Amino acid sequence: MKRLTWFLSALLMLSMLLASCAPAATPTAAPAEPTAAPTQAPQEEPTKAPEVQPTKELSAAEIAAALPRKETLYFNGQQWGPVVCWNPYSSSCNNAMAISQGDNARVTMFETPYLYNMLDGKQYPLLADGPWSWNDAMTEITFKIKPAARWSDGTPVTAEDVAYTWYAHVKYNTSTGASNKDYIEAIEAVDPQTVVIKAKLDADGKAVNPLIVAAYVSSNYVLQKAWTQKLEERTGGDPAKFLTDPAEDVVYSGPYHKFYTDETKVVLVRDDNYWGKDPSMWGKLPAPKYLAHVIFKDNAAGTTALKAGEVDVSQQFNSNVQDLWLKDGLPISTYLPEPPYNIGASLPTAFYNLRSYGLDQVAVRKAIAIAVDYDTIVANAMTNQSATFKQVPRSLMNPTPGEQALYDREAVKSLQWEGNDIEGAKKLLDEAGIVDTDGDGWREYNGKKLQYVATCPNGWSDWQAAIEVVAAAGKKIGIDITTNYPEWSVYQTVVTNWPLPETGYDIFMMWSAGAGPTMPWGRIRNLLSSEFAETTNNWTGNWGGYKNPEVDELIKKIPTMTDQEEIKKAYTRLVEIYLTDVPSFTLMYRPQSFHTVYEGVWTNFPHQGDGTNPPVPPLNLTDGWSIAGLYNLKLVNP
Amino acid sequence: MSKSYLRYFLNKLAWLLVTAVFAFILNFTLPRLMPGDPVAAITARIAQGMSNTTGMKEVYERYAEQFGTNKPIHEQFLIYMKNILQGNFGTSFSQYPRPVADIIRASIVWTIALQFPAIIVGWIIGNALGAMAAYLKKGFDKVLMPISIFVSNFPAFGMAIILMVIFAVNLKWFPTSGGYGYNLIPNFSWEFIWSVIVHYQLPFWSIVLIIIGGQAIGMRSMSIYELNADYVKYARFLGIKDRVIVRYVFRNAMLPQITGLALSIGTMVSGALVAEIVFSYPGLGYTMLNGVMGQDYPLISAVTLIITIMTLIANFLIEILYGIIDPRIKAAQAEEQGG
Repeated sequence: MKRLTWFLSALLMLSMLLASCAPAATPTAAPAEPTAAPTQAPQEEPTKAPEVQPTKELSAAEIAAALPRKETLYFNGQQWGPVVCWNPYSSSCNNAMAISQGDNARVTMFETPYLYNMLDGKQYPLLADGPWSWNDAMTEITFKIKPAARWSDGTPVTAEDVAYTWYAHVKYNTSTGASNKDYIEAIEAVDPQTVVIKAKLDADGKAVNPLIVAAYVSSNYVLQKAWTQKLEERTGGDPAKFLTDPAEDVVYSGPYHKFYTDETKVVLVRDDNYWGKDPSMWGKLPAPKYLAHVIFKDNAAGTTALKAGEVDVSQQFNSNVQDLWLKDGLPISTYLPEPPYNIGASLPTAFYNLRSYGLDQVAVRKAIAIAVDYDTIVANAMTNQSATFKQVPRSLMNPTPGEQALYDREAVKSLQWEGNDIEGAKKLLDEAGIVDTDGDGWREYNGKKLQYVATCPNGWSDWQAAIEVVAAAGKKIGIDITTNYPEWSVYQTVVTNWPLPETGYDIFMMWSAGAGPTMPWGRIRNLLSSEFAETTNNWTGNWGGYKNPEVDELIKKIPTMTDQEEIKKAYTRLVEIYLTDVPSFTLMYRPQSFHTVYEGVWTNFPHQGDGTNPPVPPLNLTDGWSIAGLYNLKLVNP
Repeated sequence: MSKSYLRYFLNKLAWLLVTAVFAFILNFTLPRLMPGDPVAAITARIAQGMSNTTGMKEVYERYAEQFGTNKPIHEQFLIYMKNILQGNFGTSFSQYPRPVADIIRASIVWTIALQFPAIIVGWIIGNALGAMAAYLKKGFDKVLMPISIFVSNFPAFGMAIILMVIFAVNLKWFPTSGGYGYNLIPNFSWEFIWSVIVHYQLPFWSIVLIIIGGQAIGMRSMSIYELNADYVKYARFLGIKDRVIVRYVFRNAMLPQITGLALSIGTMVSGALVAEIVFSYPGLGYTMLNGVMGQDYPLISAVTLIITIMTLIANFLIEILYGIIDPRIKAAQAEEQGG
């Protein structure tokens, strides 16, 4: 009996404990931050969280208990946490399936006037009608809006919307506004269909940077003026509120919109009234009714789901991807059937801190760079999902044919290295008089031992593997390189704010820009332009502090050049300088997006040589011109 | 309530308040002592594709202003305290501009639904097994003990991955990831409820198995200690029945186990991190990990505050209960009163 009392009292205590949780948790249900928008509906039923309410517009009949497999295209690798908002003016909605502006803008829900195709470097009209054109002085771009283009509320998309979107970007200093306002003076509507983009002019009356102006039309969404004004009204002109509004009521022009989100997934549903079924655009609706993305906690979980046929389009690094079809015999494939499996687009790069002792010496920088065993990096860190430097010799260009054609390979051939050249590196150092004078096995420069730390963020396993190879190269040529991996939160604060610390960040890894309409110019500018050298809040590039007036001059001139030969000459000279001075060096080629597809349910995905014209790029059927792929999909068993 | 008990109660209550105040201050300060700058991380996300350094400076300063990270720390503390008293945990940095309250609300139910039953089930089974091992000895103990030691020392991620490989990948009895079917939208249907139950099993057992092992070992040694105590020998000597003795023994052996239970319930909000990661199961643990990685001060402070409060209350309730039920503490009270 007493024992029973004991258990009962224990139970009672437990229930008291539980009850005591309640007051502690209650404040969380209180209205949050004053900045949160008034429209954000308080979530009902906080105690029944797994059953988070589906989107309210849906009628009961529409709420599908299960997404039919044959109507749903599943993704992974794009969304790594719960969706925060649907506000296309904000850059922090963490809403990868719907909002991602940039060189290859994601056009599932919102649309850009043009679609960039990284395979041929062209911009194809989407909301726009026909190609855009420069005026003779190259100071203004004009384009028309398609008469068929409609918003989700049925009203036409007009030039006025394009102009007002820009106005709002500038007024509220969004990232689009902040990054373009130095190059774009104004965007105006001449008539309801005609848009004019006026470039900012320099002292000579020429556009400051025509490349960035031209890239605007395929990188930034057109948003509805009426909705933007509604948003402004309810946020009272406060930029912080404007940018943090969750915008559940946003009006869009794209083929998909919100269906359901919670902590575990995001689902978009097709708008069957989408204007793009007009013959002037696609002439039909995209094949999948739903685009769904389960939120996986890491790559391993995503790969497991891909193997199980629960993911159709995998935009994540799947280690040893070829095993999926060679060993497991699964209907899985990549854009290219053989290594490197994907089209490389960006160049993950090791930067030298040019203030570190001895790293101001070209001989030291070049010696380390040519001693690194890049084949090992490609094989281990990337499991061969990168082209080797034998296949694509190093320059400043990514491996796409368009960029490779922009420089004269023969002219710089003697400067390009494939790596693992230990003897060459030793010779270089010996000739520069950087030798081991005290016999401890390590070389000295002016009597001081060369000792460096190579680093990248902790947990970025492919980068860490690459950095280990760099350190190993140092040891082989008598330079003491150790590795260190700080957390990303610390790392990013340090490398983006000059000056770099005296130790710990001598050789560090960062990214470079991928494929886009301003490339390779934009990438080269980021890597080499002195405008970023020794600055704070630098998220762009040249973190090592490289300065070269000739490079700056060329970077300034290229956007205004029109003669192809002249452009090629300028790029060749830049490559020559880069490979001579070695302020940083590319470690591998990385695709713009990983693109692995499962063909158990859907088929006809973009593959190299699939006969599409223009070719559909392997960007997950959501980014830029690759969305054309959604219209080509077919069911394996209809 | 006796006078001595009231004194005991007030004494414990005073300590509770003092601890709460210090914990509150630490909750605020400790995350902010980490190296690095969270606003830089937000700027990084927003500045993607931006190549205009003045623009980025503006963005950075705007957020520093908004989050108040540019203010002196004591001022930040006052603002924080004011907000907390109004039940406002602020805006998350890592999931900006989502309110912290919203993040916690969305994940805490998953965490509690996974952890609470796991802790209770693991605790009950573990203690029962431990007690049986102590009492029955011989074969049962010889089998149970090594297994318990083996299982309880298993790293949690190892247990989760083994369960996943055996039951999800190879046997395909259970799904590999998620809180419910990858193709489902939450609704009140058998299909959905069944899916939740099926998805629940592996994360649940990966936690329960480890708890069972630990509890069994603890309970076994406590029981053996009590079984050999003088009062048991004395009781046996007096010819008191085994059944009665066993009741005394387990009542005493149970006390530390109850404390352990209360503490694990107090800290369960921090989540079953490993199970959440391995099975991509929703919950607060992973959110919290991301918060720590992204130096999400408001989120870290809010979650640790909840943990602190729950642990303190659990402790307090136990001490109050002990004051009533544990004769040793009663005796101490009486001594204090006498002295």
